[in-house]
Amino acid sequence: MMKKLAVVTLTTVLVAACAAPTRYVDPAADTGPVTMTMDYRDFERAADAAVQDLLASGAVDHPGGERYVMVVSRIVNDTMQRIDTDQLVKKIRVALLRSGKVVTTTAVGLDGGEDEMNKAARELRDSEEFDQSTVQQKGTLQAPDLSLSGKIIQRNHQVEDEQQVEYYFQLSLTDLRQGLAIWENETPIIKRGPDDTVAW
Amino acid sequence: MSRFFHTLITVALACLVIACAPLQPEREYVQRDDLKVDPEVRHSLSVTELLQSRLEQPGGGSLLQIQFSVEAFEDTDMEWAVTWFDEAGMVVPGVGEGYREVRILRNQVRFFMATAPHERVVSFQLHLREDR
Repeated sequence: MMKKLAVVTLTTVLVAACAAPTRYVDPAADTGPVTMTMDYRDFERAADAAVQDLLASGAVDHPGGERYVMVVSRIVNDTMQRIDTDQLVKKIRVALLRSGKVVTTTAVGLDGGEDEMNKAARELRDSEEFDQSTVQQKGTLQAPDLSLSGKIIQRNHQVEDEQQVEYYFQLSLTDLRQGLAIWENETPIIKRGPDDTVAW
Repeated sequence: MSRFFHTLITVALACLVIACAPLQPEREYVQRDDLKVDPEVRHSLSVTELLQSRLEQPGGGSLLQIQFSVEAFEDTDMEWAVTWFDEAGMVVPGVGEGYREVRILRNQVRFFMATAPHERVVSFQLHLREDR
């Protein structure tokens, strides 16, 4: 019994000693293996391609030099993975804000405003506890000019003894005044790997 | 005569002050090049062109856009990234810092484009490295 316990303990210690240590990953020098699922590199690549194409198209350059106001509409996750589409959208929002051409409203959204404080701050209008000159006035919120919507699609295929996973990042920018999609983009990301790897 | 001594003392004092001033270390910088190709991939491909132009925007501004082409002598996996700089030489961030992996087949010529993330970008550095 003691001998068995000693062998198990020794094996456990050996396995633990051989395990790779936890470490930080530098995205600019990440030599780690590619995963079949979507990882941060895929979102970064898709967002980068979309932003470069959008800026180059001139669709978000206001003729008057002002910034467009954009609202984020629905981004559908049609993949087998549970992902937060903000991993894609936030990168696009940040890049567009930095470009000086687009600002995103957090006051409007399909499921209510992203930041409910826009509404809560206006409920202070009748409160005697607050200096009314510091309370947001009526008619100060800006309505969006543009709407960003999209879809992330996943398709799996069997290729000989390998598995091929295709991801499509599709985005549309709609001019809300006319209801026309003034810019559209699709970034495909294709991965092929061993059949025993799981892509969901 | 006294005026001569006065001048002499002033000059001597000035020399002393200069001599005692802390020496500024000499810094040598290597001029930043538009194109940086790592030796690991240099033997298997060559950059056949690197073009740049300003893309006019409807609002009157313009964005720097580059295009480069790569020809491979053998099947090559490589990565590339562009770093953007403003007038003062400061980095203008884009979306992330990752490299794009590409595969170029033997005798194939591929063209790639990149657009600056802001109108204040005036220069860039394109980096090609082996796929790791």
